Amino acid sequence: MDQRIDRVAEILVNYSTEVRQGDLVMIHLYEPIAEPLGLALYRHVLAAGGNAIFRMAPTGADYIFYRYASDDQIDYLDPMFHWLMANIDVRLAVRAPVNTKALTSIDPARVSRFQKSQAPITATFMERQASGALRWSLTQFPTQAAAQDAEMSLSEYEEFVYGACMVHLDDPVAYWRAKSAEQQRLVDWLKGKDRITVKGEHIDLTLSIRDRVFINADGKHNFPDGEIFTGPVEDSVSGWVRFTYPAIYGGREVDGVELTFEDGRVIQASAKKGQDFLNATLDTDAGSRYLGEFAIGTNEAIQRFTRNILFDEKIGGTVHMAVGAGYPNTGSVNKSAIHWDMICDMRSGGEIWVDGVLFYQNGEFKV
Amino acid sequence: MDPRVDKVAQVLVNYSVEVKPGDLVWIRVVDPLAEPLALDVYRHVLMARGHAVFSMAPTGADYVFYKYASDAQLDWLNPLAMWMMERADVMIALDAASNTRALSNIDPARIARARRASAPLTKMYMERQASGALRWTLTRYPTQAAAQDAEMSLSEYEEFVYGACMVHLDDPVAYWRAKSAEQQRLVDWLKGKDRITVKGEHIDLTLSIRDRVFINADGKKNFPDGEIFTGPVEDSVSGWVRFTYPAIYGGREVDGVELWFEDGRVVKATATKGQDYLLSVLDTDPGARILGEFAIGTNEAIQRFTRNILFDEKIGGTVHMAVGAGYPDTGSRNESAIHWDMICDMRSGAEIHVDGVLFYKDGQFKV
Repeated sequence: MDQRIDRVAEILVNYSTEVRQGDLVMIHLYEPIAEPLGLALYRHVLAAGGNAIFRMAPTGADYIFYRYASDDQIDYLDPMFHWLMANIDVRLAVRAPVNTKALTSIDPARVSRFQKSQAPITATFMERQASGALRWSLTQFPTQAAAQDAEMSLSEYEEFVYGACMVHLDDPVAYWRAKSAEQQRLVDWLKGKDRITVKGEHIDLTLSIRDRVFINADGKHNFPDGEIFTGPVEDSVSGWVRFTYPAIYGGREVDGVELTFEDGRVIQASAKKGQDFLNATLDTDAGSRYLGEFAIGTNEAIQRFTRNILFDEKIGGTVHMAVGAGYPNTGSVNKSAIHWDMICDMRSGGEIWVDGVLFYQNGEFKV
Repeated sequence: MDPRVDKVAQVLVNYSVEVKPGDLVWIRVVDPLAEPLALDVYRHVLMARGHAVFSMAPTGADYVFYKYASDAQLDWLNPLAMWMMERADVMIALDAASNTRALSNIDPARIARARRASAPLTKMYMERQASGALRWTLTRYPTQAAAQDAEMSLSEYEEFVYGACMVHLDDPVAYWRAKSAEQQRLVDWLKGKDRITVKGEHIDLTLSIRDRVFINADGKKNFPDGEIFTGPVEDSVSGWVRFTYPAIYGGREVDGVELWFEDGRVVKATATKGQDYLLSVLDTDPGARILGEFAIGTNEAIQRFTRNILFDEKIGGTVHMAVGAGYPDTGSRNESAIHWDMICDMRSGAEIHVDGVLFYKDGQFKV
């Protein structure tokens, strides 16, 4: 067995979600290809005294569903998944794409209709995770499909993923605890602050974080992790940004995105490739031209863009922003059907000032 | 895609369990190796307008469970399985062996303990299937492990399995309907009969089926299928039988089993290999030396022994008997923790007489 897999499992069970005696734990494998991690998680859950239930479907079942389901079937609420969300204490979710383009020819309207019909499951999840009744963590098992999107061999990609997880260290849990403490210091420092100015080769933006909360993303909900994020005051954002990495949404890639904001709203949007899709997405609804998130990526082991937002948004030395829905726990009130993260490199002289104090420069924190 | 897999799926969904619009269909994939069949079953369930949910666990999860579970975890009843068993209209079990010896080093007492803990699940299943609220079927997807046990290549084994399923025919459902009608004729003929005498090179046995019911196993609950079976009057069995195939129980093989019955009870048991194990199993409990089942295999496409009881007990031209628990729907009252099927070839001149009438000879029905 790959020892790195075992260590990821150990961290998810004992650090991220802290499984306890008698916990009902759902091990949710998005694809059976994640079996090795599924087994390692199972062993650690059992060792922690938890009772585990697997959730998994054959690879390609989603395609079959969208291809053959009637409207009635699309509108049917999955009772088994709903029961799980209402009853589990812990959810361990493992993404493991086998083919990231498998749903390309499916009508997106069918996919969004299904998402809508399953909304009670999402609502139950959101409610129970906010109250603390449900602890959860999401990770990614390295696969050929993800390596292909990252333009790497599987071996390289495994090195990349496990490197970002820090499981090559003797005591990765100690690393993540230290990382959490360091990020908490920054989040505490940002409390009560107001004016953020971001300046650099690719960005010249101001926004307010007045009465907003920065969240410390320290390996609990995402693994690997590494960012601090908030929801900016909706009408405060103004200026310009050029995103230095392709912006990906719904499996489609838009290159060279530039956005100009006025009173919080995107008033101009251009792209070198995919501008029509960019504008169509920004016109989804009233909230989709406003920022729902402003964040700083802090994982120094992630230095490459891999077309996977779980990793890309954490690239150490970048900021990212999402147009669309914000996270209520940051204080954001922006609502939208979309949430599109876009990433901007800060390592070539970019600076962040907070209420006139230099907070971040060249990808490093200065406070 | 293998068209034979698709045809098996079609027979299961549209003949064996007859999925109707709105049915909640629980597809239990015993091992992810059965994915190709699971996808085809899913498609046919969707086309029949049923609602399907999957249960599936990684290969080897059972080993991890038995190896690491505490007593409290062994005693845990899976609440999701219970919840589904109470609600499902249809249960389709897709078995697939990845390694038939994976649990060889697990203490059988731990397996028995977990089985006891799941008794409420078994009870719920028995109740709902007896009342007709739950329709179910079980099939096995051909794998290398099963082919290895059968001493065949996977290609040969696939030919064997799909041949036994009759899916090489243009209309396999028509075949199974005709098979069902033919077996029903035999079962009807046997109604009200009493004395059965079985005589041949390997057998000289009498038993009573007075007030007992023969069941027509016609591809509904097992697929492939092909047998008629009953539970003999418990104290009526007397005589001798030499089973011509290895008798397998709990993964262990006993060769050359011979049993002598007196007033229904096994009074002498010998084997050329594994006699100690044979005797210890027969001494499990008071019902373990009494026949719970007497049956005639009728699948003419199954001519080889493959170390898999789903197929072996249906070999056309054989009879099988099980010591231990009988099926209540046959009228059997024998109770036991075991149910061990053993098979005897009848194709070399053996005869079955029923109330003095020649019923079966050389593997062929004569009525």
